[in-house]
Amino acid sequence: MARFISRRLLLALITLWLLATIVFVIANVLPNDVGRTILGPFAPQESVDALNKRLGTDQPLIVQYVNAMKSVITFDYGDSYVTGQPVLPTLAAAIGRSAKLAGLALLITIPLAIIAGLYAARRRDRPSDRAIVLLGVTSSSIPEFVTGTILVVVVGVQLKLLPVLATPPPNADIPTQIRYLLMPATAMAIVYFGYIARMTRSGTIEVLQSDYARTATMKGLTTSQTMRRHVLRNALIPTVAVIAVQIGYLFGGIIAVEKIFNYNGMGQTMLFAAQQKDIPMLTAGAIVIGIVYMLATLAADMTIAWMNPRIRLEAER
Amino acid sequence: MDYSEVDKVRRSSTPLQLDVVESFMGGRLSRREFITRGSIIGLSMASMTAIIAACSSSASPSPSAAGSAPASAAPTAAGSAPAASASAPAVTGGTIKVASQKPVSVDPVAMQDLGGYGITAQCFEFLCTLDPNGKDIAPGLALSWTPNADGTVWTFKLRTGVTWQKDGSPFTADDVVATMERLVAAGNSGLKGVLEKGGAVATDPNTVTFTLAGGNGNFPYLVSVFNAQTLITPKDYVAGTTLDKDPNGTGAWKLATYNAQTGATFTRNDAWWGGKTPLDGTEWIFFDATGPMVTAYQGQQVDAIVQFDVLSGQSLLTDPNFNLIATEAALHRQIWMRCDTGQFAKKEVRQALAYTFDRPALIQQLFQGKAQLGNDHVIWQGYPYFDPSVPQRAQDIDKAKSLLAAAGVSNLTATLHCGQLLEIPDLATLLKSQASQAGITLNVAVESLTTFYGAQWCPDKPADPPCSGAAELGIVDYGHRATPDVYLNAALKTKGIWNSSQYSSPAFDQAFKDFQTAVGVDAQKAACTKIETILNDDTPIGLPYFYNYLAGTSKSFNGVYSSALGQMVFSAASKVA
Amino acid sequence: MVDVIVTPQPVGPIAAGPTSERSQARRETIRLLIRRPAFILGNIIIIGWIICAVLGQRITPYDPFNQFFAGHQPPSPEHWMGTDRLGRDVLSRVMVGSRDVLIIAPLAAMLGVVAGTFLGLVMGYYKGAVDDVLSRIVEAFLALPVVLVALLTLVVLGTSPIVVVCVVGILFTPIVARTVRSAVLSERQLDYVTAAKLRGESGLFILSREIFPNVLGPTVVEMTVRFGYAIFTVATLSFLGVGLQPPSPDWGLTVAEEYNNMISGFWWPTLFPALAIASTVIAVNLIADSLQSVLSE
Repeated sequence: MARFISRRLLLALITLWLLATIVFVIANVLPNDVGRTILGPFAPQESVDALNKRLGTDQPLIVQYVNAMKSVITFDYGDSYVTGQPVLPTLAAAIGRSAKLAGLALLITIPLAIIAGLYAARRRDRPSDRAIVLLGVTSSSIPEFVTGTILVVVVGVQLKLLPVLATPPPNADIPTQIRYLLMPATAMAIVYFGYIARMTRSGTIEVLQSDYARTATMKGLTTSQTMRRHVLRNALIPTVAVIAVQIGYLFGGIIAVEKIFNYNGMGQTMLFAAQQKDIPMLTAGAIVIGIVYMLATLAADMTIAWMNPRIRLEAER
Repeated sequence: MDYSEVDKVRRSSTPLQLDVVESFMGGRLSRREFITRGSIIGLSMASMTAIIAACSSSASPSPSAAGSAPASAAPTAAGSAPAASASAPAVTGGTIKVASQKPVSVDPVAMQDLGGYGITAQCFEFLCTLDPNGKDIAPGLALSWTPNADGTVWTFKLRTGVTWQKDGSPFTADDVVATMERLVAAGNSGLKGVLEKGGAVATDPNTVTFTLAGGNGNFPYLVSVFNAQTLITPKDYVAGTTLDKDPNGTGAWKLATYNAQTGATFTRNDAWWGGKTPLDGTEWIFFDATGPMVTAYQGQQVDAIVQFDVLSGQSLLTDPNFNLIATEAALHRQIWMRCDTGQFAKKEVRQALAYTFDRPALIQQLFQGKAQLGNDHVIWQGYPYFDPSVPQRAQDIDKAKSLLAAAGVSNLTATLHCGQLLEIPDLATLLKSQASQAGITLNVAVESLTTFYGAQWCPDKPADPPCSGAAELGIVDYGHRATPDVYLNAALKTKGIWNSSQYSSPAFDQAFKDFQTAVGVDAQKAACTKIETILNDDTPIGLPYFYNYLAGTSKSFNGVYSSALGQMVFSAASKVA
Repeated sequence: MVDVIVTPQPVGPIAAGPTSERSQARRETIRLLIRRPAFILGNIIIIGWIICAVLGQRITPYDPFNQFFAGHQPPSPEHWMGTDRLGRDVLSRVMVGSRDVLIIAPLAAMLGVVAGTFLGLVMGYYKGAVDDVLSRIVEAFLALPVVLVALLTLVVLGTSPIVVVCVVGILFTPIVARTVRSAVLSERQLDYVTAAKLRGESGLFILSREIFPNVLGPTVVEMTVRFGYAIFTVATLSFLGVGLQPPSPDWGLTVAEEYNNMISGFWWPTLFPALAIASTVIAVNLIADSLQSVLSE
């Protein structure tokens, strides 16, 4: 296991380096006078030059690249070009908010989706299975911004059941925070439900058709006994994998949801930084998201390895 | 007419002030214009009230009725706001929740966005502050100001007994001088070319004398709420400091917490010179777009909105519980047409396009009527020197067709470029449809705002003359300015830095020069007439409307007022009992 | 979409015999597919939108661009879906709104699948150092949330349909590459590949003539799945203001322009384009689902 983890960590570092390079390239494709952008068109050239010198943006690209890579290692991103706020605390707060939102969405959707998937698999090709599959396809086809908007109008404005802004008052207790996050989390949970339910269903069907499941049934075990003892663990492997892979996707959906509910998570922060060409914030943000994603995949891999020893052995080879 | 009162004012006035008084008494300025002009050149409210009373002693029994809003010019907290005294009884205490654009920068010197303007103006103050009517300037940190005869030297008397929040030290003329030096060094867009290094001098602890580069009849505007960066900061303030890093100020509110992502809170400054504010504090929530602000208001999560647009806030216009603050403003869009080359080089072609605009329909469809007609020049009717005698251009398809025929142009096809901002893409769509009636084909090309600015409106290269790389036709946005100088100087003057129509007219340049150096009312009006006539005829830009700045609060609060630049004033606001 | 499956692949000597077997299998696949109501329904919806996109203004009840009625009229016999904020007929705009997304999304999906398949074949077949290096790059790309990176790139580069296609396509590439790679990994251990190697065939030949036809199934499924994702992604990007630009009647863009007005009770200009997006993605997913289960049987 230790070898498995250390190998993964090494790969993670290489991935991070590539990620930082990609973001650096994107940020520097267009010639861009950072000092002029910050100070505006009327500022005297001397002030612009002085600022560029202070920020290091007057240096050749290769030097800037080396500096950018240094900050990846030292994790020192300094202050935002635009707001002057220190980058890392800002991002930490943002990612905390996004994590709360995404976490709640997952908390709502995972149990529901797994139960629905298992149920559908056991009733394969019967009307209830067809209905769940159709519901799954439909729910994962409606973009979050559509469901989010409909929720705002119906639940927030017409029925006045839930707050329409996702940011809870400072120092709110957990139930209050959940109340504020419930609507945006639901908008995300709906899309997510379809993927997980379908993945659980197909994973379960595959295992149910396998020899050992048939053997178990032939041994005289009831269906629910077979499910519990033999199927569940193996059937959930693809589900765990898909949950991890979809973390990246979750971030895409989160941008639109955060926009509708004015929630200052990663999506809003990154969007704002991109619009203002705030390069330190962008680079650091991409790295942070990359790290989160890799931790999620790592956690998923370890869960899968724990669930199925055969995969673990293969990974250690 | 009570001449004794008038004579008293006359004796104590400088020639420039006298000119305004005479213009008013001669009937060349309306009462509204007189108050606006008078406050700029430093006539005290008492003098103006006296003169208005003297001129209309028979008609109006109560002198204070003459200008009910300006009568309370100094925005002291105790019941100064007109709304507060008029309606339901107010209570002391409570906080108001304010929805604001997320500030990009809260560095008072360098900020460029309405979000930053609004936040910083809660703590810091201007020499000339905003009158509760939302349009005029009123004594702020300066108690009074007077120009010399040609408007080149302005003397500002400062308020005494004002202290800084941070250490309680007194506010003095040195603070003003240091602030001005920082602004000049930063190239402030309003002061550029007007005030130079060393131009501001502290003659005594409570007096600052500004010696300008040339005569300027509008100078107090440039050190007022309408030039948002001129907030007075302490003399030892380091350029580049942001409000949240070093909270300070002389104003009614103290910054308590600040989070650049989510919001800010302010508490009452008990030492404020204006007295005790009715509210205990204000809570600002930051938004990235106006849509969610409106939603939040509907969901009763905010009480006030600093600015919204008709496009996303239609529901607020008819909401009976919403106190709409619709400030007429010089906010506008310019449809520039390249005058030097391309299909619009002939004046007739440019006029033809302008004749296809159905302006009243645009105002109705895009703004639900919350806008004023534009006449293809930048002199907004709210400016005191606006001349209404230049005929208003209206849609005239036949005229457009005959102008095109006269220019020998048929099948005019052009691309109309614009950025993704508020109603502009919709404006482009409507213009395309209206132009098609005269046989003009416009293809609308919308891009993200930054791309549009960089590639179509004013590309960096070629740099000389500026904007010579601009597209031949496009729509660009202009914010509110208290005087038209920036529009005239940047967008229309030969080689102006934002002159994307590449307009170059010696006659216009001369008229603009006349306007800038004019100090008397008549001279300014005469110059403006020339400017309006030339621009309307040459049509380097189409200007279909000036739209209102929209803000507002819930009806459970009284006494909130707002400038057209994002500064919302809560010092006199109170909760309705 | 079905065409891709029926494209006959001339194969090498060993595979010469199975040619008829293959066409038989192909016929069987189609037979299975048309027996699935989901597959039929999906195709009907997609073909319906394609007809709207191709015929456009010739079949809309009103001019979707230049005809202005009173703004925000509710649905009525004259305007089945009401009018929008400027008074244009919503039904007409929804009908032509399919045009842009039905060009951009398939192109993006195709770019992603072509590039991804190529990459996946190379990685899976050569293994070793090539695979290791490419895998790291693929993994780095996979760590990037698609919508977020697309958004950043489009904000920085400026948006245009071509850039949208390229960005979305490139971001889909690693996902496809990974799927194809794992399919190739299991194929290359099979006897027919070993036999081809023993015959001394070049790597390029084995990849294109032997392995590729056998991983075509997952590739086709991947193509339809990516198509669904592409519609979803482009709509989201348009909603965020960096996808299609006005005056395009694109659905995602229309939702972005109108959703603020829902609060005022004007739900129809938002709801109908939103349903149109949903119907298209659902249709594509129904097709993808059917293909997947038929091809895996």
